[in-house]
Amino acid sequence: MTDTQWPVYEVFHQQARGEAHVHVGSIHATDPEMALVLAKEQYARRQACVNLWVVPVEAITATEYEDSDIFERGTDKSYRETWGYKTPKTVRARDKEATGE
Amino acid sequence: MTTFDAPDALDAATKKALIDLLYRMADDEIVLGHRDSEWTGHAPIIEEDIAFSSMAQDEMGHALAYYNLLTELGEPDADTMAFGRSASDYRCASLVCLPKGDWAFSLVRQYLFDAAEGVRLAALAASTFTPLANIARKLAGEEKYHLMHGRTWIARIGAATDESRRRMQTAVDEAYPHALGLFEPTSADEILAQSGICPREADLRAQWESSVAPVLADAELKVPEGVTPQYGGRTGVHPAALADLLESMQLVYNIDPSAKW
Repeated sequence: MTDTQWPVYEVFHQQARGEAHVHVGSIHATDPEMALVLAKEQYARRQACVNLWVVPVEAITATEYEDSDIFERGTDKSYRETWGYKTPKTVRARDKEATGE
Repeated sequence: MTTFDAPDALDAATKKALIDLLYRMADDEIVLGHRDSEWTGHAPIIEEDIAFSSMAQDEMGHALAYYNLLTELGEPDADTMAFGRSASDYRCASLVCLPKGDWAFSLVRQYLFDAAEGVRLAALAASTFTPLANIARKLAGEEKYHLMHGRTWIARIGAATDESRRRMQTAVDEAYPHALGLFEPTSADEILAQSGICPREADLRAQWESSVAPVLADAELKVPEGVTPQYGGRTGVHPAALADLLESMQLVYNIDPSAKW
């Protein structure tokens, strides 16, 4: 059976200016402008939002799950992890405030 | 021009005119909100179902803001005004009373209404009655979205197919005289205009006409010519559909006015 649905757009939501846009889900829409109109009510009616992105799903190039072993660490790479640094209290407080956590 | 920061600052005649205006605005919103909610579970696609239902809630919220202001002006509480009045007490325009029709009609009605509300709220943002100006500024964002929504849909289905064009033009022809009824002149017009609370209905209508014409034209829809506006709503004369709507909306309240949920 042919798919009669409108094209799929992935939706990215930004909670405050300067923060990263976070992927929140997808919607069907006829075109990008309609996607923004519909995405607003699907994904920005409860949480704070200053900006939305919509991206046609075909524009996304992704890795294959069968290749997910490329992300595994063959040897100990713990030296790449950023633990052990001392973060000043004032910076920690600012981070906490910015992320709301 | 003198501003009025609180209800006490108004003389009796001005206050009466303001109350009349607020009933018209609040009743338009609650009735349209109810009509829009009739699409919940029935809109063309799930995304639009959510968007349109959300806009129905917006209209209810606007109604509540105006009802609350009426309460401050000495009218009863919001529930009593919404659920305790009969059709002839309502002051809404016929546009919002009409049954939801097909999707084209509800879409066109919503857009024509939002364009009118947009024009009115822009004017009221400079109202000399400060509490109303504050509400108008607060609702501007929601109204801006409603207009984006309406313009986006109308531009897309106005000229999409022969059937969509026919249905949309039928909807415009049907809704337009009723939309003009949103600007029915009332005995409150003069005093509201002179006190700087709200411009004359005729002025708002002219602004509305020039705002909707290009949007309809872009969608290849014709503005009906030589139309007689459908008046009566502002004096309590309504299509029979309003009584049916109120019967449904007020059902629970009429069984037990003290019910809480």
